[in-house]
Amino acid sequence: MNKRSVVSYTLDQCVKCLKCVKACPSSALSMIDNRIIVSDERCLNCGKCISACHNKGLLAPGSTLSDIDNYDYTVCMVPSALTSNCASKAEAEQLFHAIKLLGFDEVVDISAVEGAVMNENYRLADELSSTSVIASFCPVINRLIEYNYPMLLNHLAPLNYPSEIAAKMIRERLKDHGHVGIFNLCECEARLELAKYPYGNQQFETDHALATVDILPDIQRNMESGSQPLSLSRRGLQSCNPALMKQRPDYLIADGFDKSISILDLAEFDLLKSFKLLYLFPCFNGCVGGHLLFGNSYLARNNIHELVDLHNDNEIEIPFEYLYTEETAITKEEKTSFIEKVNFFNKVNQQLELLPGYDCSACGMQTCRIMAEEIVKGNRQLIDCRILAAIKEDPHEHKKSD
Amino acid sequence: MAVILHEEFKVERNDYSNAGKISSRVKDFLKQIGVNPKTLRRIAVACYEAEINLVIHSDGGMVYMDVMDDGSIQLTFEDVGPGIPDLEKALTPGFSTASNEARNLGFGAGMGLPNIKRVSDGFDITSSPEGTTLKLSFTDRNE
Repeated sequence: MNKRSVVSYTLDQCVKCLKCVKACPSSALSMIDNRIIVSDERCLNCGKCISACHNKGLLAPGSTLSDIDNYDYTVCMVPSALTSNCASKAEAEQLFHAIKLLGFDEVVDISAVEGAVMNENYRLADELSSTSVIASFCPVINRLIEYNYPMLLNHLAPLNYPSEIAAKMIRERLKDHGHVGIFNLCECEARLELAKYPYGNQQFETDHALATVDILPDIQRNMESGSQPLSLSRRGLQSCNPALMKQRPDYLIADGFDKSISILDLAEFDLLKSFKLLYLFPCFNGCVGGHLLFGNSYLARNNIHELVDLHNDNEIEIPFEYLYTEETAITKEEKTSFIEKVNFFNKVNQQLELLPGYDCSACGMQTCRIMAEEIVKGNRQLIDCRILAAIKEDPHEHKKSD
Repeated sequence: MAVILHEEFKVERNDYSNAGKISSRVKDFLKQIGVNPKTLRRIAVACYEAEINLVIHSDGGMVYMDVMDDGSIQLTFEDVGPGIPDLEKALTPGFSTASNEARNLGFGAGMGLPNIKRVSDGFDITSSPEGTTLKLSFTDRNE
């Protein structure tokens, strides 16, 4: 996986409030020389910093519609999370037509693929009953486990992302159509990385990731100008929505970042063995609560009843080679030895003793620990701490209490 | 063999609301120094069980974490009593003396010590009414 953050920073919008630095769950943001720097190595693409910013200082841009011109034939994939925003089937059919009018040759609903992937997660959970399976449909959860929960890596279901499976099937179907461009309309920041462009992840079958909010004005203009008949998959729409998923005593389905974290923490202690499946949505209300969507995710939970014919599941069979990823064990390159790491850790602890421990972020680092690490690396000095600097100026006013 | 990293934590008797926090910190420390995930998994499981044991059964005590220069990790759980009357029984799977209070909270299934023994590479326990000391060590098993 190419590690690149999708978060980009606009200096002239930034009021240096540090809200984004404090909001980051993986300490990926820092302010250096009055600019926000996002660490590609730490960023989970969860979008919390973008939500925390009140001034549009941070954005997650996708590809642009002008990229359509580079292909002979273009297809736009629409995930269930986006379709779920429509209050009726008629509205969804209009939405698909409106997207097509942006210049695509085809607009494809991928809910059936999403449903099939969810079913495969259920099946895997029953098959591997000795261990709990973590569903791997969310790039944020997958990154989180890779970076912070290496003990749980072997619990991740080795399934492909639905958009990737759909893209492979589309590419196969259209192999006689010249240079085919496959676009994915993304519901969240994290899915923007699952394409060749704009973030340069060449291993993906999808060519371009589009941020839904960015092209929403163009879509709106085309609404009510026609409709495209749809046959949505009930299971697909359920798969992006924790309130609608199959409830079983041995399935643990959770939404929200903090809840997902607490589940991963307990799983590391082997305390969730009685659950066969852990289905974690870091966004509230699941993928229908994706930050790049419009509309009200609470209402979206109920739209499913209007959108699907309950007697028609529109289930499809997907060949194994599409469903499963080639199992590539993630091995981190270890540049530093164990002893070096312990030495570094001890030095950081020594510096940490000297810092005030308020985690105020005023120095631009999220916490005193991050600051201590930067000091040991030689990038910062103790006096860069605003509080220590103030004490030095006026030693009588501030006394560090132990 | 020399200690290259040492941390210590205090455990309060019957402090259920903080039970598990020490294990979380030990886990986080060891993640940061890059302990092999499979070994760390065993350490996490053992540390959690032992910490909960201290909270439920003991009058409080200390947890010591030592990282040795050969990469092995030692955990020591030292309490101030009341001691384990019959160690052999305590090491039998399913045997439990946990209070109803503890059982209602989901603890005390009688698998604590046997589980700890199973996942650790070195296991040493001594007990008297003045206190119990549990010493565990872990090395990479090349799993």
